[in-house]
Amino acid sequence: MRSLRNLAILAGKQALRHRTRSVLTALGVAVGLFLFSTIETLQAALREATEASEEDNTLVVYRENRFCPSTSRLPQSYLDGIRAIPGVADAIPVQIAVNHCGASLDVIAFRGVPGDDLRRYNPDLTVVSGSYEAWRERPDAALVGAHFAARRGLEPGDFFAAVGLRVFVAGIVTSPHPQDENVAYVHLPFLQESTTLGVGTVTQFNVRVDDPEELDAVAARIDGRFGDGSAPTVTRPEKAFFAQTARDMVEMIAFTRWLGLGAVVGVIGLLANALLLAARSRRRECALLQTIGFPRRAVALLVLGEGLYLGMAGGALGILGSFAFLAWRRFTFGNEGLTLAFQPDPSVALAGMGVAMVLALVASLWPALEAARGSLVRSLRDG
Amino acid sequence: MNPPPPFLRCRGLTKTYQKGPNRVTPLQSLDLEVAPGEFLALMGPSGSGKTTLLHCIAGIDHPSSGELWVGDSNLAALDRAQLTRWRARYCGYVFQLYHLVPILSAFENVELPLLLTKGLRRTERRERVRAALARVGLADRAHHRPAELSGGQEQRVALARAIVTDPELLVADEPTGDLDREAARQVLDLLHELARDNGKTVIMVTHDPRAAAEADRCLHLEKGRLLEANIPAEVAR
Ligand SMILES: Nc1ncnc2c1ncn2[C@@H]1O[C@H](COP(=O)(O)OP(=O)(O)OP(=O)(O)O)[C@@H](O)[C@H]1O
Ligand SMILES: [Mg+2]
Repeated sequence: MRSLRNLAILAGKQALRHRTRSVLTALGVAVGLFLFSTIETLQAALREATEASEEDNTLVVYRENRFCPSTSRLPQSYLDGIRAIPGVADAIPVQIAVNHCGASLDVIAFRGVPGDDLRRYNPDLTVVSGSYEAWRERPDAALVGAHFAARRGLEPGDFFAAVGLRVFVAGIVTSPHPQDENVAYVHLPFLQESTTLGVGTVTQFNVRVDDPEELDAVAARIDGRFGDGSAPTVTRPEKAFFAQTARDMVEMIAFTRWLGLGAVVGVIGLLANALLLAARSRRRECALLQTIGFPRRAVALLVLGEGLYLGMAGGALGILGSFAFLAWRRFTFGNEGLTLAFQPDPSVALAGMGVAMVLALVASLWPALEAARGSLVRSLRDG
Repeated sequence: MNPPPPFLRCRGLTKTYQKGPNRVTPLQSLDLEVAPGEFLALMGPSGSGKTTLLHCIAGIDHPSSGELWVGDSNLAALDRAQLTRWRARYCGYVFQLYHLVPILSAFENVELPLLLTKGLRRTERRERVRAALARVGLADRAHHRPAELSGGQEQRVALARAIVTDPELLVADEPTGDLDREAARQVLDLLHELARDNGKTVIMVTHDPRAAAEADRCLHLEKGRLLEANIPAEVAR
């Protein structure tokens, strides 16, 4: 144990005192892990938004064959019919207004909802500053998601204009559902009047069902009820809805996974190269250590240890950098009015460090063998 | 009175290198006995196999044939891992070109052989490093890197590293080759002391007859064989 610790210290000295080489190598690793961690954050956000889970109990009722909030139009009068369908716990009409209907990195989305219904329908919303009452009182008031607010630097009392609307910030809200944090809730009539749609038309209904197991059955009932009318509906679980309408975006983000993989392979190459060069330039040193009694295993461990340090230092740097970058830019990737916020996630950091360490070990394997191999006499004679 | 049994004994020690079609035999059926606590000098022309012999004696290289006993160990029969353990315990090696690790201080270089010693506490280890550095007169240079030391000081650090494990056998390959007279003097005095006062067996290769004259005995290696060498008295002093 003590020997192992001494070896770890010696490996640390090797890494620290070959400073230029170590810094450059760690920076290379950092670039790779920056990419990896950023891409993993995208992937995690995507998974969260699209992968169905057991507790999902929300359906989205949309106009059939429409994919953009500005073209999906449903009569608000469907509401009572939907509420009457067996299995439906609650429903809320939602009018959505977005600045972009295609894919965009800076999506602004307004959700117009009836002022009386929001709190009941969405009890998970927590007002962290400002107040709910202030929102209720003003027709042009907005409850702004925390992520949205941070991105725009908004605070209660501010006004801001977007998508042809000018709204008053009545409060900032947080929620366990990432979607809630990326939008601004406004009053439905206000939104309807401000856009060309007019009163009585909404984009969609959000429906909560009594029993998550019934999700598909309830969806079928809703579409059965409204399927034949002049405004036929298509009802899907919220996450499936997202996965469906944002298909392009989903594919694009899924594709970035390959970039992450490329970054990882690049890191292995870079580290292996640096360590191999180090092991070769220190052949005489490695032979010397063996001459004074270091077993070959210890010499190999020294190289592995050094690789591990470089990998971990670079990994930590890259992951922190990626998180700082994401926190600073507060990207919200949106498509068709649905948004994905890329927020630093501790599980991504953990996975990133794990990846960095595994990469470092893989990369140092061959250099370590090379350092421990070979004839002592030859290494001592010609270094 | 019987002479003490030899500490080191070679019988028919042969080392051949095969390089392509060429066969080099630097050591040819060599016999050698060294008494415990003896200070032996080895001389010989360049390429005569002095380094090769030291490598064998120190367990760094394997003889091609013949017997090689040091203390109770039959070095010719040990495998690489066993030789490594043997070296760690019984043998200190001083290289002509010091071979210090450049990024480590003098102290850390001397500490190296003790890092993997089982059951050695840190305080004890540091005490032994300090003692070894004091022994070679470099207590005040402990925190200098090799690049900040003179050649003679570097060689003394290498010597400290060789003796810090308190080995019974000390092997030095031209330890004074690159040093001026004063620096060489200090190193030779140390080797002498180690043999005389501490009972270490010291085997030193040298080109310098004056250095060889410090030893208890001097042998000449020529064409793979050893010959007794006579150093004229005027050189010796
Ligand atoms: N690995 C090797 N492969 C082939 N030949 C070798 C090898 N090592 C040493 N030799 C040869 O063995 C002979 C003895 O070499 P060695 O280094 O022992 O001589 P030396 O007496 O120490 O010489 P010097 O005084 O120049 O240091 C030389 O001819 C050398 O070329
Ligand atoms: Mg030599």
